[in-house]
Amino acid sequence: MSGGVDSSVSAMLLKQQGYDVTGVYMKNWSKDLPGMKCPWAEDLADAKRVAVKLGIDFEVWDFEKEYFERVVEYMLSEFKAGNTPNPDIMCNQEIKFKLFFEKAMERGADFIATGHYARIIDGKLARAVDEKKDQTYFLYRISDEAISHTIFPIDEMLKPDVKKLAEENGLHNAYKKESMGVCFVGEVGMKDFLKEYIDIQPGEIREVETEKVVGHHEGAVFYTIGQRHGLYISGNVGEVNSGLPYYVVKKDLEKNIVYVSRNLDSNLVWVNELELKDIILKDKKINNLTVRLRHLGELIPATLEGDTLKFENKIKRPAAGQSAVFYDGEICLGGGIIL
Amino acid sequence: MIYLDHAAATPVNKKALEAMRPYFDEDFFNPSAAYLPAKKVAHEYEEAKGVIAHAIGAKANDLVITAGATEANNLAFSAVLDGRVLYLATEHDSVRKVAEQYSGEAIEVDKNGRIDLNDLKAKITDDVILISVALANNELGTIQPLSEIASLIREVRLNRLSRGVKRPLYLHSDASQAMNLLNVNVARLGVDLLTLNSAKVYGPKGVGALYVSHDVKLKPASYGGGQEQGLRSGTENVPGVIGFAKAVEEATKHLNGNRKKYAELKKILLSELKDYELVNKKHSLDNFIVLCYNGIDAERLIFLLEDKGVYVSTGAACAANKGAKSHVLAAIGLSDSEINGSLRLTLGETNDEEQIHEAARLINEAVTLEKSRG
Repeated sequence: MSGGVDSSVSAMLLKQQGYDVTGVYMKNWSKDLPGMKCPWAEDLADAKRVAVKLGIDFEVWDFEKEYFERVVEYMLSEFKAGNTPNPDIMCNQEIKFKLFFEKAMERGADFIATGHYARIIDGKLARAVDEKKDQTYFLYRISDEAISHTIFPIDEMLKPDVKKLAEENGLHNAYKKESMGVCFVGEVGMKDFLKEYIDIQPGEIREVETEKVVGHHEGAVFYTIGQRHGLYISGNVGEVNSGLPYYVVKKDLEKNIVYVSRNLDSNLVWVNELELKDIILKDKKINNLTVRLRHLGELIPATLEGDTLKFENKIKRPAAGQSAVFYDGEICLGGGIIL
Repeated sequence: MIYLDHAAATPVNKKALEAMRPYFDEDFFNPSAAYLPAKKVAHEYEEAKGVIAHAIGAKANDLVITAGATEANNLAFSAVLDGRVLYLATEHDSVRKVAEQYSGEAIEVDKNGRIDLNDLKAKITDDVILISVALANNELGTIQPLSEIASLIREVRLNRLSRGVKRPLYLHSDASQAMNLLNVNVARLGVDLLTLNSAKVYGPKGVGALYVSHDVKLKPASYGGGQEQGLRSGTENVPGVIGFAKAVEEATKHLNGNRKKYAELKKILLSELKDYELVNKKHSLDNFIVLCYNGIDAERLIFLLEDKGVYVSTGAACAANKGAKSHVLAAIGLSDSEINGSLRLTLGETNDEEQIHEAARLINEAVTLEKSRG
């Protein structure tokens, strides 16, 4: 229970369905960051308030150390290698549906439940009924074993109905903003977060076509392919020179150079193929493969040949380290990490 | 609403609110400006400081107005130029955390939360320059024997002088919780530094004061225009101090009546509540009631009672929010499960007898509900 409306309603539904429910707040992160107070203590109090009103047991499980080791350190090393990892996917794989799951099983639970928008159909992960809220992009790496002991109580509900149900049952918290994944990603930019752990290292921004130096940056690791904002070009932030903004198309980590372009048609950006690593494929029999390249992104038809995803039409290349998630209809088959 | 958390915050006294009002718009002048209307504001500001000072037996110039008690506590520790500090194990974090910056060492308390004077004696070595002991504790309401501590300190000072040891020894006390419940007089208490807090005495939040005796040299909290005897530069918070003064005046006027009222309400509560252990049995402020329901998670009671419009607390409001166990209750020797089951009720001017009967009933009901959950 995060203190948010989704997990609160989930707990309530389980209680109503007759389960013996224990609410657990997972403490994964508590550190304040520049310009952002980590809301963990308030979230914890909100979660506990809901548990008390439902009349269920409530516990706090502290995974702060493990979260740092398995999610944050992974993230930092990926960024240092020039990639753009997704901490939510890692958190689900390593913490929520692994450590939390294992501890719950040890404690004698039959199931774990979360407030994710996703379904489980015949033991397979599937997209939520509320397509606008579907979170399977973040869940594709969780194990089959965890899935077989997981309940998503709001799997078939629409977000507005979840909110309404919360209100009707006095579970809504009028003062609460919607929580977004891990606490630091939502509120501070990733760059601010990284700066806490990685020293700035000034370097050049070059135009990819001409090699001309057009500005300077604070360290190539802080920039993501496709990024347009926060580029110090000609002394101005995100300056529009000739009608078109520069955006990041390439990084040279060794020389600490960020390459930018104004050419939106650059073949660095538009590709037919993506190489993947660490592929998970839960069913080799695929009827109609579609692929999602970001959370709630368009479902793009593709074929998987070995470790290569092939697209009929060119796609805008996602940053390395992001995930491509596979679907067959509404079933989530797995996915891989983009090289 | 039945508000039983007056140690966390108090509503601003109506008369104080009225007194403040003109200083936001009509009499908004900067007290440092040269023209007469500004001089008038400066004068009224000084008078208000005088009222606050008078209530503790001091003069306006002995007070440094701050933005609350935390800042006053921090400023008090700037007396430490070299040397160590001692503080009571049960101090508020605004003392504990500062003391940690000055190699602070904690003095033990007994099971009632009172200072262990032998432990204090043993710990006052020649390198100690400041000792900080709150007049009344913020979680238990325990009143400390400040004048006894002060006379002990006087002996140490004399002894130091006789041996040619130059380091001074100061006594600081945070009187935030006590000012409207006890007669506070700096000479009688024997303190060199005393922290006051407007927000706990029905004055506005964000205003406090540090009484500084003439012997103590402090390092300024901020540099600038030289306000507050040069110790805290910055344009004066005129409405805040006017409101603080009025609140203090009212508190002094009603001190005895209120104490009697709280003692009576406390008696009613304790007789009507069921199945509890009283934690703060002795030496406690009249309005503090700390109950222990061993085996129950008292934080759950907060949420159950909140639904019924009854507002209570498990300890310091700041600690309660962070899931950290109370260092105060640990210091008086409570077990983890007893700490978990402890509920703090603090009475105040918003309460009457009818409310207290109702509160007792609702608390009993919540406790029964939690117990039945098993």
